[in-house]
Amino acid sequence: MRRVLRRVGGALFLLFTAAVVATALGSVNIPLAHVLGILAARLPGLGELIEPGWSPAHEVIVLRVRLPRVLLALVVGGGLSVAGVLFQGSLRNPLADPYVIGVSAGASLGAAVGLLLVIPRGIVGYGFLPLFAFAGAVLATLAVSRLGQRRGRLEPTSLLLAGVALGAFLTAVVSLLMVLRIENLQDVYLWLMGSLSGRTWSHVSMAAPYVFLGLALALWLAKDLNVYLLGEEAAHSLGIDVQRVQRLVLLIGSLMAAACVAVSGVIGFVGLMVPHALRLIVGAEHRRLVFHSLWAGAVFLLLADTLARTVFSPLEIPVGIITAFVGGPFFIYLLKRGSDFHG
Amino acid sequence: MAKLHLAEVTYAYSEEPVVRALTLSLESGRFYGVVGPNGAGKSTLLKLMDGYIRPQQGVVYLNGRDLRSYSLAQLAREIALIPQTSYYFPFTVEEMVLLGRTPFYSRWGAPSARDRRIAQASMEITGVAQLAGRLVSDLSGGERQRVTLARAFAQETKVLLLDEPTNHLDLEHQISTCRLLKERSRQGVTVVAVLHDLNLAASFCDHIFVLDQGRLVQEGQPGEVFTPELIAQVFRVEVPTLRHPLTGRPIIAP
Repeated sequence: MRRVLRRVGGALFLLFTAAVVATALGSVNIPLAHVLGILAARLPGLGELIEPGWSPAHEVIVLRVRLPRVLLALVVGGGLSVAGVLFQGSLRNPLADPYVIGVSAGASLGAAVGLLLVIPRGIVGYGFLPLFAFAGAVLATLAVSRLGQRRGRLEPTSLLLAGVALGAFLTAVVSLLMVLRIENLQDVYLWLMGSLSGRTWSHVSMAAPYVFLGLALALWLAKDLNVYLLGEEAAHSLGIDVQRVQRLVLLIGSLMAAACVAVSGVIGFVGLMVPHALRLIVGAEHRRLVFHSLWAGAVFLLLADTLARTVFSPLEIPVGIITAFVGGPFFIYLLKRGSDFHG
Repeated sequence: MAKLHLAEVTYAYSEEPVVRALTLSLESGRFYGVVGPNGAGKSTLLKLMDGYIRPQQGVVYLNGRDLRSYSLAQLAREIALIPQTSYYFPFTVEEMVLLGRTPFYSRWGAPSARDRRIAQASMEITGVAQLAGRLVSDLSGGERQRVTLARAFAQETKVLLLDEPTNHLDLEHQISTCRLLKERSRQGVTVVAVLHDLNLAASFCDHIFVLDQGRLVQEGQPGEVFTPELIAQVFRVEVPTLRHPLTGRPIIAP
């Protein structure tokens, strides 16, 4: 128990430090002490004791611009990673990622429909974009889990194939829409590349509940997932309701991924690479794997996003480019040195 | 009372039944071998005994009670199954064997000292204790099979079902696996193994079930069952059978 508390404490400290440092960095660098002061001043009871020694402009940058973006990077990075753990576990496939079962293709189509057909007509504003993406992701996931059934049972191979097939189909529809409606082309294109640029507190509050709920459920199901890795018959004989676990895990993973994609677009590699790398380091036991993937994914995406907005400042590059740029070589290195899944 | 009893059990995956009106009884403390050609329904029979699939007709009884009246958690304490295919992930050997204890502790709980003792004992019996800290994914096929066996032993059930437990094993490990299973049966466990190697079945099993096209063709002691006539009828191949000079058990000698 003490070890668990120490680990959780360590992870929280790391996340907090990373968040403060990332908030300080940017086109305008803000001293760390000011960042801490601005944050502490918001705490009830503590706020009156602190003398503001910083400019109001800095306070606006920290509280309105950087902090929501930093927190969103942590939430999305952690969410995609835990979703990756869930998908790789429930499909018993190391190449599964939060997008395999059509989540990203569905979200893309949802976003494209929103950006190309609905928002330009002034029916609703840009604030509704995440809802379009979320609806698309959920619909695609439902369709794939229907198609992935054989004899009333979900089957990993069928699910993967159905996901790939539907993904290709929906992506074609997105491309077609883009060709036919070129007015908002750049918006769609940027969304598809994945970015955390210009995100606000409302994005954080949209994604965070799903990620936290998903995390809690993932830990709740960790023991079942461990047994499930042995194969369906073996898991059944150890008292696991295989179909129920599989459905629950896919549902939870899809909702987490859908919420993340809805607010950030398609950010590749995080959900594939982080769980895979962590499995090589801490093993396949799911309680450990979920916990370590959460903080590692959160810190990784925060790092990537901080690079994305500082390296070529004031120019920003989509964070998806950085995750792939860092992730690809690291992934190859891991594959070369360790073993992971064996059938 | 029979430990396991199948009464007129029929099961079909699609239209054609793979197990047809099968009736058989299994007692405690015996080592049963299930043999038959490919597609005879052997694996399906094990899945029916384990409750993984439910018969469309007929009833499977465990301790005189319909298997369907057991909850999954109860079944996990009664019957252990080693399926034909296993998956190996980077669990340590000890973690893997401890998975056999999952029916005995809660979702948020951890294995108790007793669970660990039982897992340790299972690893010692199967000869994998010295591998405890190694990753299962790094082991050889024979070592993995013994780890899987240790996991099933750790479950401490009164019924143990194994689908081709000696597949992919070398001679030494085939024999040591069968000896372990025999020993287990002598401690009161009902052991049922699907075996492709008729000679292994003849040497170690107390009782043989011969299946063909979903039906029970013959059952009894190996000496009564393995005759050239029956083998010709079921496996569609002419082979002489000899007697082992020391044990008197049959040897199938193609």
